[in-house]
Amino acid sequence: MTTAAAPHAAPHAGHAPMGFWRKYIFSTDHKIIGIQFLFVSLFFLLVGGFLAMQIRWQLGFPGRPMPGGGILPETMAPGGVILPEYYIQLVTMHGTFMVFFAIMPLLVGVFANFLIPLKLGAHDMAFPRINMWSFWTAFLAGMIMLAGFFVPDGAARAGWTSYAPLSARPDLSGASYGQMLWCISLVCLGLSSILGSLNYITTVINNRAPGMTWFRMPLSVWALFITAILGLLALPVLSGAAIMLLFDQTIGTHFFDPAAGGQALLWQHLFWFFGHPEVYILILPAMGMVSDIIANGSRKPIFGYHSMVFAIVGIAFLGWMVWGHHMFVSGMNPTLGSTFMVSTLIIAVPSAIKVFNWMGTMWRGNLHFHVPMLNAVGFVAMFVIGGLSGIYMAATPLDMFIHDTYFIVAHIHYVLFGGSLFALFGAITYWYPKMFGRVMSERWGKIHFWLTLLFYNCTFFPMHIYGMGGAMRRIYDPTQYDFLRPYQPLNQFITISAFLLFATQLIFFVNFWWSLFKGKKAEQNPWHDNGLEWTLPSPAPHGNWERVPTVYRGPYEFSSPEVAEDYLPQTRKLPTDREPVLAPVAGA
Amino acid sequence: MTHAAVAASAMRPPFPAERGVDVYNKKLGMWVFLGSEVMFFTALIGSYVILRFGAPGPWALPGKVLNIPVTAFNTFLLICSSVSMVKAYAAIANGDQKWLKIWFGLTILCGAGFVAVQAYEYTHLIHHGFLPSGYRDGSELAELAAANPVMYGQAVAGLYGSTFFTMTGFHGFHVTCGVISMLYLYVTRVLPGKYTKDDHAGVEVVGLYWHFVDLVWIILFTIVYLI
Amino acid sequence: MHTAQPHKHPNYLLIWLYLFLLTVAELGLAFELPISRNMKLILLLFLAVWKALLVALFFMHLKFERWNLRILAIVPLPLAAILILAVITEHIW
Repeated sequence: MTTAAAPHAAPHAGHAPMGFWRKYIFSTDHKIIGIQFLFVSLFFLLVGGFLAMQIRWQLGFPGRPMPGGGILPETMAPGGVILPEYYIQLVTMHGTFMVFFAIMPLLVGVFANFLIPLKLGAHDMAFPRINMWSFWTAFLAGMIMLAGFFVPDGAARAGWTSYAPLSARPDLSGASYGQMLWCISLVCLGLSSILGSLNYITTVINNRAPGMTWFRMPLSVWALFITAILGLLALPVLSGAAIMLLFDQTIGTHFFDPAAGGQALLWQHLFWFFGHPEVYILILPAMGMVSDIIANGSRKPIFGYHSMVFAIVGIAFLGWMVWGHHMFVSGMNPTLGSTFMVSTLIIAVPSAIKVFNWMGTMWRGNLHFHVPMLNAVGFVAMFVIGGLSGIYMAATPLDMFIHDTYFIVAHIHYVLFGGSLFALFGAITYWYPKMFGRVMSERWGKIHFWLTLLFYNCTFFPMHIYGMGGAMRRIYDPTQYDFLRPYQPLNQFITISAFLLFATQLIFFVNFWWSLFKGKKAEQNPWHDNGLEWTLPSPAPHGNWERVPTVYRGPYEFSSPEVAEDYLPQTRKLPTDREPVLAPVAGA
Repeated sequence: MTHAAVAASAMRPPFPAERGVDVYNKKLGMWVFLGSEVMFFTALIGSYVILRFGAPGPWALPGKVLNIPVTAFNTFLLICSSVSMVKAYAAIANGDQKWLKIWFGLTILCGAGFVAVQAYEYTHLIHHGFLPSGYRDGSELAELAAANPVMYGQAVAGLYGSTFFTMTGFHGFHVTCGVISMLYLYVTRVLPGKYTKDDHAGVEVVGLYWHFVDLVWIILFTIVYLI
Repeated sequence: MHTAQPHKHPNYLLIWLYLFLLTVAELGLAFELPISRNMKLILLLFLAVWKALLVALFFMHLKFERWNLRILAIVPLPLAAILILAVITEHIW
């Protein structure tokens, strides 16, 4: 216990080469698990997008046969015309897939797994086998959810929030097995997230390399760490609520059935008590990764590192006491409503701190607009729009008017698509070389970004106007309402933009798959970044490091006057750097 | 002690992280997991508290439907298993293999006894007509409740059944999981004497889980059976 | 033994005796007693929390851990309190 640079043997060193199944399918390597999450959640992203296209067709051209819709069974779309029963399934499953099986695993499953050990200098997660189980439980959950479309009565029909008692009573919603599968799937997903989160938290606390102090951790790791805490504490509440909902449907309990003394509002409280931290699960990792990318693209240290960390912590903390703002029109206690209004308005402060810090980072930076940087800047811009409409609707009186309209739909898509998904496009492009050893096409990445930005805004911005006009979300046929008929051309414009947006995403998918096999070979540090992961070859080898690196500084030392290059890796020892002092181990 | 030997021990972090919590991975992971368990039981117990608070009628009086003496015995069993668990841990921390085997075995026996008594309690209750959906029509309980609607909380029998079976059922599920994992450790690690004075992470970690389950039962016993 | 801070093991059988006596006291409270129902409720909850604390502090060794681990154990409790208290106000406004 005397030397700081004591040798740390790689735990995997000297293992016999593993077979295909242990190496790629039931792998315990955090990088393989992250890549598994990547493939599966990209698949679910496509599924969710595909469902959205059907929704858009019905809204833009209600009652007209959908091109290619003829292959759907009579119970969904006879002759290609979407039935109301199928439409509500589409809406429900689009939301469910996108939130739980696309964005959440893309952000947490992929990047927490891939980045945390690599950026902290660990050989692997603290519990590699639990990590593997986390992936396979999530996979199982996704398959169960998908199975909903193939059971009698079709998939769940109560919306992605599954408000009781509609969801609790099969005779009301018309979906029997579909709704049960929805509940079972979310219980599985909850288990998966808990297993994942406990792994991430333990790894961050315990398995950092020497010298990697709390305030030398990259913001992406900070964000993923805080996200893991949110997931750890929020998902069990959803699991518990989903179990109660499942019991209501199957063994005749009455938790959410007002007819027998149950409380329908209880479901909403439990769901949103989970649901609002979930919102931050879906945005915090994106914010963290965008911070890394923006510092890199600006070749400047991140502006206000500590305030960024405290903003993440503050958002996570406040995120627990704002859930009621989803329920302003539910008949909730109005005093409670005012409390939630105030806490929601306060949460805008840490969010604004982050936005200004990103702008401060870019200000007078030596800007390099590579694809990840473009997407990161797109994220900031779109997040500002989504965030501003969020402040708007935090005010109870205003929310009364726009609640459950397309204004809300626009808001959630501005933060989830414009926010999280832009960040994800950037992050995937950014860490793709470390994952696969190849670089994604720069040209097609740029084309994809600009087209996405254009069509995305054409799709979702008009929804603000449409919602202000009073369009309710989840309605089947807007032309049935006199006051919505004048908006129909707008609706068709949205639909066509949405189709183009979907088509644009195919560019990303083709780029992704093409680069996997034909992309340019990646160098070790293609973005000239400081993080520990860039000291490894691309793709990063099994077990990561032969010897755990020692960290001498924070991750954002760009354009440092002390070195000739414009970046200064965390592991590079300058003559002025001291060796990190190791904390004494108790009892040794 | 060389650093490599320190890192090799299962009971310490791979390398001493600065300002970490100075707890080895498995124990930290278990504490983190218990945090999520707290929230899971919060959802279940919280729903019970909230539903009971807002119930449209009086709840059944304690002891009318549920059998308090039997569950009091069960509580006693679980407390005994908790203390034998911690005695097992204290034994191996002193390197005492013999008493580890005895106390750990007693823990498993008491845990299994708890599950058995709970299974007996459930069959008994269902036989008398207490179901998750309330009092079964035509059953003994339904007749008693019809005669004494306030004492038996007839108006909220559905909520009573829902919350009772969900909460105690999931607690029982956790106990069962604990018994199974302890049995596994007993056969694979305790009996072959693989735990030592320096490396007994498994006993401590499964013990934490077991005490937590005991703790939940202490809360459940009070608020479900006695209030 | 170099896991947590080395500590002397408390007398676990004494804790067990405490838990046993507290449970007996709880059972006594379940009978018809000449005290109000609210008083009973408060006493029962008090006893339950006492027992839970005994388990957490001595059996789970929180008494002998460092504060950073104790914080980890405490963090979920305010969240649970927020949820239950907020939803209970639904019924008293």
